[in-house]
Amino acid sequence: MSSFAFRLPEATEATTLNVLKVSKTAIGIFILPALILYVGIVFVPILVSFYTGMLNWNGIGESKFVGFENYKDILFNDNLFWPAARRTLLYAVASMIEIPFCLMMAVLLNRYVRKANTLVSIYFTPVILSVVVIGQLWKTIYNPTSMGGMLNQFLINIGLDSWTHTWLSETNIAIYCIYFVSLWQYFGYHLLIQFTGVQNIPNEIYEAAKIDGADGFKADRYITLPMIVPIFKISIVLAFIGSLQSFDMIWVMTGGGPAHATDTIATYMYTSSFLSQKFGYGSALASLLVVLCLVITVVINTVLNKVDKKFS
Amino acid sequence: MKFTLGKGLVFLLIGILVVTQLYPLIWLFLYSLKTNDEILSGKFFALPKVWQWHNYEAAYQAGHYLKYLVNSVKVTAITLILVILLSSMVAYAISRFKMRGGQVIMLIFVVGMMIPLQSTLLPLMKIFSPLHMLNTHWSLIIPYIAFQLPIAIFILSGFMRSIPTEIEESAFIDGASVYRIFRSIILPITVPPVMTVCILTFITIWNEYVMAATFISSDRLKTLPFGIYSFVSQYSVNYGNIGAFMVMGAAPVILLYFVLSNRITKGMVAGAVKG
Amino acid sequence: MDNKLKKALSIAAAGALTLSLAACGNNDNSSKNGGDAAASPSSSASSAPSASASSGEKVTLTFQNIYVDPNTPTYKTAHQIVDQYQKDHPNIKIEFDSLNTDQQKQKLKTQANAKEIPDITMVNPAAQMKPFVDANLFVPLNDVVEKNGLKDTYQSGLLDYYSFNGNVYALPDGNNIEVVYYNKDLFAQAGISNPPATFDELLADVKALKEKGIIPMAIGEKDTWTGSFIFMNILLRTNGGPGFLKDVVDGKKTFEDPAFVDAVSKFQDLIQAGAFEEGATSLDVDTGRSLFTSGKAAMYMLGSWETGTIDASEVGPKVAAFQFPTVGGKGDPNQFMLAPGTAFAIAANSKHIEEAKDFLNYFTLNFPKVQFELKNAVGLPQKVDGDMKAAGYSDLAISVADLFGKVNGGDISFDNTMNPAVSQVHLNSLQNMFVQKVDPAQVAKEHQAAYEANKDQ
Repeated sequence: MSSFAFRLPEATEATTLNVLKVSKTAIGIFILPALILYVGIVFVPILVSFYTGMLNWNGIGESKFVGFENYKDILFNDNLFWPAARRTLLYAVASMIEIPFCLMMAVLLNRYVRKANTLVSIYFTPVILSVVVIGQLWKTIYNPTSMGGMLNQFLINIGLDSWTHTWLSETNIAIYCIYFVSLWQYFGYHLLIQFTGVQNIPNEIYEAAKIDGADGFKADRYITLPMIVPIFKISIVLAFIGSLQSFDMIWVMTGGGPAHATDTIATYMYTSSFLSQKFGYGSALASLLVVLCLVITVVINTVLNKVDKKFS
Repeated sequence: MKFTLGKGLVFLLIGILVVTQLYPLIWLFLYSLKTNDEILSGKFFALPKVWQWHNYEAAYQAGHYLKYLVNSVKVTAITLILVILLSSMVAYAISRFKMRGGQVIMLIFVVGMMIPLQSTLLPLMKIFSPLHMLNTHWSLIIPYIAFQLPIAIFILSGFMRSIPTEIEESAFIDGASVYRIFRSIILPITVPPVMTVCILTFITIWNEYVMAATFISSDRLKTLPFGIYSFVSQYSVNYGNIGAFMVMGAAPVILLYFVLSNRITKGMVAGAVKG
Repeated sequence: MDNKLKKALSIAAAGALTLSLAACGNNDNSSKNGGDAAASPSSSASSAPSASASSGEKVTLTFQNIYVDPNTPTYKTAHQIVDQYQKDHPNIKIEFDSLNTDQQKQKLKTQANAKEIPDITMVNPAAQMKPFVDANLFVPLNDVVEKNGLKDTYQSGLLDYYSFNGNVYALPDGNNIEVVYYNKDLFAQAGISNPPATFDELLADVKALKEKGIIPMAIGEKDTWTGSFIFMNILLRTNGGPGFLKDVVDGKKTFEDPAFVDAVSKFQDLIQAGAFEEGATSLDVDTGRSLFTSGKAAMYMLGSWETGTIDASEVGPKVAAFQFPTVGGKGDPNQFMLAPGTAFAIAANSKHIEEAKDFLNYFTLNFPKVQFELKNAVGLPQKVDGDMKAAGYSDLAISVADLFGKVNGGDISFDNTMNPAVSQVHLNSLQNMFVQKVDPAQVAKEHQAAYEANKDQ
């Protein structure tokens, strides 16, 4: 593990900032309470999941140890897993692409709006409202024409009748409709994080740069971007991990249907564990999801570290 | 400042986003005042024919609003305080202490963000059962803290790394203990990111239902999301009451959010100048 | 079954019994089972054995249930009975843990694992409760049903769905049949005079309704079991009678049997004829129903539990119900899809099994009576003594209740017969038929493959 080149979240040359020499007791006091709680409550279940993934078990009665059979089945014999994985990854990429847009908005708000806090708060509203509300809202937008769906009405009104769809019931577009809602909902979430980051950059730096002739977008290129990288990274990783686990929105809007067309790894895991009662299989899926998250997080981190170096 | 086309476009974009992001709130409010039939008919902009104010009365009583609200506040408050305390300590240690294994600890915490909540229910129940913690608020607070720690540590350590070390170094030389530096220097200047963490933690816990439903059985201990689902019967759903309950459930969050978000301001980092 | 129901109703007509809860002790039962009078002479002594055993020791029983909404009759029924029981037994406290159905199922599975099942809980019949019984998580309730003549109150054969190896493990809160509700006004608008008696007539009616711009049949296929419930009724006909799935389990038939393939292809005919609303797979059961109750759809095919909600809606007075027709000349309309309800069970890990049993006996004895009073008598698991007309029930409710009298056997739903893994494959492959045309033989093949892969689950 220690050879693992894993550096999260770090500012430029941050490693050299490990400056305080403190006693072992102090380290223990600062870290152990959280670590113990965390390992007991979150880490143990992960290990249990890996193990349960090796069982043939309905979650209630007797179980049978089958080794890596479930994992093998998922990867090689399951024609539902890979499409679900593809949808999951696609969504993860989409939510990553959203972050630069959030950053842009944060910069614009910071520059042009005096009381930008209020606006950030307003943009955050969809996050506050639970997924159930947002899902219901968008379902009425996506409803088929015969049920007065808002989107179709709109398309018909502007003369684009041929563009209407039964959005959530067509296997090839339903998942994109759900992606869109999630991206829309979480716009405010990442805007808030980016905005906090932008706000954290002291004015003095911009003022100094202004004297040197760097203003507006030039200042953004040479000051905001390099200084926001750590926060940017946080958002990217949070967006990635969050989207890999996307469950609620899909469950509310389509339940993974029609016929698995909107299943992601998370919904597929839930269906397997709790509806099909293949608890071992579901746990194996959960474990694979954790592995997938881990791999991707490392990849993102490596990429961002390179970007980081380029800018500074 | 001159008024340019670009600036005009920016304000247009800002304006459009205000409308689209704020509309759900209005929509929910209207929803809460409709009858089941009006809601299910799926009309997007329609006003209720008769404003069903009694939805609120029903939601308030049948949904045990006050009782559940008190429980939610209690669980959320304790969780928030502990999350902030524990995560800022770890974040500080990871970003500043000279020690081996800092990255490994970070990694361990990050891995935790990746586990789907559903697959922890069973192991947790087996852990809580012998400890007689099932059906107590601790059976919620403890996992809530554990699940919120990674994001909190992640965000806070990111910010703490960007704080220049000069102040701490001079304080250290003046003989201040690490605890004192943490309490008197670090905590005050990390208020903005701490507020961000507060908000993100708060909304997650406030709406959490799966874990609560699994570990809590007594009515007197239940939290707000139970109120919402108390209108979901086996063969029918009472949408109007759900809407009303959601409005009442979201009200404290919105209130708190607007209070906290105003503290994410520039002035707070004065004195922690980087560079 | 029908004879008993009629008999029960006639007893009531004689006015011999009042239905008030105050008198809801066991007086009527003890008079029926005169021989048991000594064992249970009055309501206060009905729990005498256990009460004396526990000698007033304070006992709290957790009662996990799915009656969440205080506005519904079942909630009121449960709370009314429990309140009365607590009054009669001051040492017993019943604590409700009320959850919505999906969450309750998940919670129970998690609890089962940690042997933390609440004293009294609720499960679905047959295949869905079998894993719990196999793992010895519930106690047999044979003594509970024998006490105070409880057993005889249930409709004949109903408890079989909750019995394994000769023991009863759970007591249902309902027993429903699948019917087709239809809006008489909309039928008249489309020029249809009589409800269809054959599947071909049904298809013709669908066409006629569609031409008038009326949605022929509403469904909420996001909840996949709704489509399966309709499909199973077709299968019940094409198979010429009940028992197809049982034959598959027993190895006498496979899913590739002509009866099954034919049922798939008939179901496809119905879908392709445009019987259901567009976008059906994204609508949940409530939204589906609302198309019917708001007068946009002409038919709605689901369990008889829907009667109350439909009655209360604006189309209520215009609605009647018919039996699912024969398919290709096969099947008997008096055979129904049956839906034995969610049932109460007692946890083997409970510390107060005797007290829980006594309570459950009291609860289930009084359940039908209180339900009847609260106008929720359609689909009760037990025979109830009362005149529905006199009690103010609607014509629809009475006519649906009459259909119960015609029941001459039937099947229970797919997921109550097959194990969960096979059921999921089935539900999804039917949902798929709503979004694309399929080859019925291929669907049958998928079913068979899934069955063989998960046989040993």
